[in-house]
Amino acid sequence: MTDDVFAAGFMDDYFAECDEHLAIVRRLLLELSAAGFGEPGLRPTVDQLFRSFHSIKGISGMVGLRDAEALAHHLESYLRLLRDRDARPTEIGINALVACVDALERVIAARRDAQPPPAVDDVVEQLEHASTLAPAGAELAAADAAAPDRQRRVTFVPSPTLLARGVNVDTVRARLREVGTIVDAAPKIVGGAIIFEFVFAGAIDEATIASWRDDGIVVAEAPPPAGAPLEPAADSATPVGPSHVVRVSLTRLDDLMRMIGELVISRARLDDALTHVETHVPPVEWRAVQENVQVIERQLRDLREGVMRVRLVPVGELLRRVPFVVRDLTRDSGKRVRLDLRGQDTEIDKFLIERMMDPVLHLVRNAVSHAFETADQRVAAGKPPEGTLTLAASSIGDAVVLEIADDGRGIDEAAVVARARTLALDVPDPPLDRALLLDLICRPGFSTREETDRASGRGVGMAVVKTTLEDLNGRMSVETAAGAGTRFVVELPLTLAIADALIAHVGDRMFAVPQANVREVIELDPAALRRIERHEVAPFRGGALPVLRLSDVFALTPRPGRVLHAFVIGAGADVVGIAVDRISGQREIVVRSLDDSLIKVPGVTGATDLGDGRAVLILDLAALVRRQAASLRGITEAAS
Amino acid sequence: MITARGAETFILFTVAGTSYAMRSRDVAHVEMLEQVTAVPNAAAFVDGVVFSRGQVIPALNLRARFGFERAPYDVGTRLIVVQTGGRSVGLVVDGAREFVAFDPALIRPPSAALAGLSGHYLEGIANVGDRLILVLDLAQVLLFDDPVLQEHL
Amino acid sequence: MERTLVVDDSPTMRRMIIASLREVCTGGFVEAATGLEACEQLALGPVSLIMLDLNMPDMHGLEVLAFVRRHPTLKSLPIIVLTTRGDEASRSTALAAGATLYLTKPFTPQGLAAQVRELLQPA
Repeated sequence: MTDDVFAAGFMDDYFAECDEHLAIVRRLLLELSAAGFGEPGLRPTVDQLFRSFHSIKGISGMVGLRDAEALAHHLESYLRLLRDRDARPTEIGINALVACVDALERVIAARRDAQPPPAVDDVVEQLEHASTLAPAGAELAAADAAAPDRQRRVTFVPSPTLLARGVNVDTVRARLREVGTIVDAAPKIVGGAIIFEFVFAGAIDEATIASWRDDGIVVAEAPPPAGAPLEPAADSATPVGPSHVVRVSLTRLDDLMRMIGELVISRARLDDALTHVETHVPPVEWRAVQENVQVIERQLRDLREGVMRVRLVPVGELLRRVPFVVRDLTRDSGKRVRLDLRGQDTEIDKFLIERMMDPVLHLVRNAVSHAFETADQRVAAGKPPEGTLTLAASSIGDAVVLEIADDGRGIDEAAVVARARTLALDVPDPPLDRALLLDLICRPGFSTREETDRASGRGVGMAVVKTTLEDLNGRMSVETAAGAGTRFVVELPLTLAIADALIAHVGDRMFAVPQANVREVIELDPAALRRIERHEVAPFRGGALPVLRLSDVFALTPRPGRVLHAFVIGAGADVVGIAVDRISGQREIVVRSLDDSLIKVPGVTGATDLGDGRAVLILDLAALVRRQAASLRGITEAAS
Repeated sequence: MITARGAETFILFTVAGTSYAMRSRDVAHVEMLEQVTAVPNAAAFVDGVVFSRGQVIPALNLRARFGFERAPYDVGTRLIVVQTGGRSVGLVVDGAREFVAFDPALIRPPSAALAGLSGHYLEGIANVGDRLILVLDLAQVLLFDDPVLQEHL
Repeated sequence: MERTLVVDDSPTMRRMIIASLREVCTGGFVEAATGLEACEQLALGPVSLIMLDLNMPDMHGLEVLAFVRRHPTLKSLPIIVLTTRGDEASRSTALAAGATLYLTKPFTPQGLAAQVRELLQPA
């Protein structure tokens, strides 16, 4: 096997590990740049940064990514310099670090996306220049050596039996850290056996000490040996008391959610079974049964919400990169932008954070690069020289609302209309309907500026923002006024897993349609439908509603009754009706995703179990309409 | 699962009268096939989706995949649920009952003489005792280039 | 041959080392991401060879090296120190502390396997 082939098998591991290191690095850089003068306890931060760059350098070299290896080497050298001089980085140094880390990320992303790597000479030069500067005033100080609590010696003797129960040196360390600080940790040889000795500062009660003995952990009194702490408590430089926080793996949470999903199904089955026996039960007893069923339903909802809440993380995590991006783009641009972050504690599902990171950053970049005027221009327009970029998060019922607002120049509608017309789109004169405006700027290839974005290493355009939101069942709207500013409002559902759905029948098949994107449900008289070229339309509220039959889209044989039922989706000019034989009611469904590429088809977003073990497909009507429109376009274009 | 020195266990199954083998370590479990929900616009050899242990997985019809005529499901039809490369996929076969253990070193690449679509999906042929065992190339069976998806990119 | 202990804080690196040495180290592998974990693995079962990274979050690799060399029965274990592009100072320090061999990353899988195979040849 050649070296390249060998390395190729580890690329996924490599990218995942780099992601982890880079997330840690970003957090640490933020700590460094936020730390004030004379603030003690920066030594662990510098050490950790050094180690992260060292690790990235090592694995980059192993997989043959020379660019990343070299960059990481420069970063490591700069950190080593700081460490050796016991100095903290200057403002210039921090800027250089941030620029280099950004470049490193782009180099790694370029390899992952099979793109040419970006040039990095200028950021390396920046870092080297920073290295030549005199160190900043205050020196790095280690955290206080003396711990206020009594110190004790804790011994741990490892064994295979303990290991089988999940008790090993790592879990013992975690346990100790939860209740205090580990001042020292070292292996010892006692008569040929290897044991571990910790010097520990913190409060533990007798009951805990007794229970730990079963796990091979012995706590004794010990005079504190001199020395600085070897291991500061996990995330801060000062000793903490007992922790009220528990770390839970996401897999365990997914399991919990799955179990709750199954409870939902069982309850639905119970409901069904009960309707069959209703006629056999005397009314008084029946009422009692009903009441109990309702109590269970309420408790189930509460339980579901409770578990969902565990998956939630503060939205601040989504926004942690924004200050860097703003800082990067405003430097040397003559623009001054103040960042106003609100509602950072608003909670959002961890899964959504990962998916929304790029779209949010894209909107921020757009605002800073294009919406904000320079300080001079703003003053000339009677505005304060500093622009304000607001990122506000709030939760409303079952949804999270994210606002990205600027007080810049607003969207140039005339330019949008002109561009649309050069693309042979038929649009009215400004002012434009806001939904139409948003639709236009989110069209693939609409903005020529996307080319520059791609050159800077980012492939995210407004089109991708829009599709990501659609994938997540979210919505976006825009408000803008010339000279005053622009506001994007993004609404995301809090959970993807359980939804309210309408059950549709076509022939002998059933489908589930999530209620969230259905505007209304109507009855149609088949006799009233008219054919206009390739489309059918129905009279609706004084106008003509285009109608698409699901039986046509899926090539199924319908079994219609006297009337057809239809889902009305879309808004404004995009309203469409999807006709089915019958809509039989609303159910709460557990959404199971269809992950495999063999079954990823447009318009089908998942499957659910309605209680009998059969899979019922969940439809995305909007996607079906889009696909139908696209194929029709293809047909008419081919025919012309 | 390694049994005798160097031997590996394979599960034997039949498709259109012919016996094939695949490695047990790729097989999560074997089920009787109950309800398959057809997925419109999926590939012709995908019968649809099924629920298996709480997960929705595709049901890939091996008769169709190998180019044979489809046959209706009967009491012998089985769904072999395989797990490989992070994917869980169900394979619809006419029957699956036997296990056999042999040294994978006995597998020889299929000769050019083995015409027909199914030859494309074989890792090779093993001569075990007096039996000729056709070993499936699972990765090839599960590989999929979807023209419908391409249209959307 | 008994187990080979692979000590490195990078999971990717550990996997690459194990993949490179699969044919040579016939007794199987155990892994450790920190110095303390490495010592624990030594307490838990027989080990014939240690692949040791130096740059680790808790105990530095050299400390692990020194610890093993103090142990009455483990002190003669072959220990290969594997670390990123070395300078002469680290190399001599490691050898002085008792490393059997000092190798630098990046390594090629064949190169590593060859060095280890040679080391394990009966004298």
